[in-house]
Amino acid sequence: MAERGWDSILLYGNAWRKDPFRSLVNFNFSGDHALARLSRSGEVAVTFSDPWDSEIVGAKLEPDFVKAFTGGASAIAGLDFMEERFVTACGALPASATADVEELRRVKTAEEIGYIQQACDLADRGYQRFAEVAEPGMREFELVAEVEGFLKENGAEDNFMLIASGGTEVVGMKPPTDRVLQKGDSITTELTPQVNGYYAQICRTLVLGEPSPGQLQSFAIFSEAQQAAEDLIKPGVTAAAAARAQNDVFRKYGYGDYTGSKYTRVRGHCLGLYPDETPHILEDVDYVLKQDMVVIAHPNTYLPLSGYMVFGDTMLITSSGNTRLNRTEKKLFVK
Amino acid sequence: MKRGLITWDKAELPPSVFDRRLAKVRDGLAKQDLPALLVYSDVWRSNEGRHLTNYMPYWNRSLIVLPREGAPVLLCGLSPRVYPWIKSMTIFEEIRPASKLVPTLLQLCSERGWTELGVLDLARLPHEIHAPLEASNVKASNVKLDLTDDAEIAMLRRAEQMAREILTAELPKGAGLTDYQFSGLLERAFRRAGAEDLVLLFRTGDAAPRTARGSMLGDKFSVAVALEYRGHWARVTQGLPL
Repeated sequence: MAERGWDSILLYGNAWRKDPFRSLVNFNFSGDHALARLSRSGEVAVTFSDPWDSEIVGAKLEPDFVKAFTGGASAIAGLDFMEERFVTACGALPASATADVEELRRVKTAEEIGYIQQACDLADRGYQRFAEVAEPGMREFELVAEVEGFLKENGAEDNFMLIASGGTEVVGMKPPTDRVLQKGDSITTELTPQVNGYYAQICRTLVLGEPSPGQLQSFAIFSEAQQAAEDLIKPGVTAAAAARAQNDVFRKYGYGDYTGSKYTRVRGHCLGLYPDETPHILEDVDYVLKQDMVVIAHPNTYLPLSGYMVFGDTMLITSSGNTRLNRTEKKLFVK
Repeated sequence: MKRGLITWDKAELPPSVFDRRLAKVRDGLAKQDLPALLVYSDVWRSNEGRHLTNYMPYWNRSLIVLPREGAPVLLCGLSPRVYPWIKSMTIFEEIRPASKLVPTLLQLCSERGWTELGVLDLARLPHEIHAPLEASNVKASNVKLDLTDDAEIAMLRRAEQMAREILTAELPKGAGLTDYQFSGLLERAFRRAGAEDLVLLFRTGDAAPRTARGSMLGDKFSVAVALEYRGHWARVTQGLPL
């Protein structure tokens, strides 16, 4: 703050984006809005819009949340997604502290890494449950209900989860539908439980029944691509290089066209208080990765061999390389 | 993100309901002489857009454009790979990819010759959408709409009934469990019944209700359930003993 000439900053969170607020005050608020005010001398003042949050923390309650912004601040983390009425209430337009706070958040403390390891352990157990209960005749949303129940009973605060099932017609994942799972289906999921604020992710593909030659061939490409990223990622490597390592495997086998935005989104991302933290692992992102960042490399995309397929693990970047935090076997699951 | 069953049962909510809602919007636009209404939508603030189009971004953000003349347009932050799914459960026929929402909106305005737009709750737009819109050559005017209708009230009643019935049936099972364990049990029950989203708060003793944190519930506790059923939220609180 001294370097930026900021006397005070606000860290704002709403029900969707709690992360800027929780990066300073790690309380899982249940109301609509929360705001932390940090002074340069280190004093923290917290305001909630919901009386229950206020009572639990012993913090100020402001049901008319516009008033929480009276007096403004030098800068705000979360400014971009704040409602304009809140920005107006600040008076002079504050600077955005979002990028600075996000950069601080990228390198994790030992305590944060501990929470992410717990989330990884839960992701592993959650995927084990997923593989145990998935069966022909079950509907996608019933499978998700079972996994969601398992994660919550084991302490997950939240979970980011996408799913898809079917064959070569499947081009991406989404929330569950009422589609009935069938023998021969490829079932993809991205499972992302949150523990004490921190998300960890696992991506795996399960085939119901004997995998087709196309599904096996496809998985071999995904496995090689993910391993290429895992072998490469260490401090000093760029996000672009981690993406290129994965995409080059697809290119080698003649599937380079399927690494672009028509078929996929990113080749990985960072994890923390938000399940899709930046930098994204993409060939045009030159961000240099650092020790104690937590990333997932996942070459998830569509291939005509198999339809959409996913495969990826959460990794902690160490001083000389990385450590895989998931322990689930790296294989194409078959049931 | 939303990870319950998102669907459109046209027997439950017929397309004619959306026709009437859009007609109401068009009447409002005509009264203010505006060419189109802009509705912001994200995973948390999806209900107004859902009411008008049945669209809910399970993740990410979108802008919904409802022209006074012509079909609705969705400017969508989600991948085009999910557009067929979106079309299957909304009234949209035109979806435009919009990784950058405001430039895509301004392009649409330019194509249609619009120099002014109505915006539902203008002051509640996120700053990064409001600021470039205000700086553009398209004038944004605040629009207020009374969105409630009989179809919405019927859906809210259904959501409330679902929340009450499931909670009544499951509540006795919570005695002796931790709030984590009981959360898991409730998640399974509600999501299997078709809940789109669920927020559970637990209260023991005199403390304020809060999210689960591994506490024993004992034989005297209450649960506040906020349930989203097909875009309609209901909140029910019940305590044990019943």
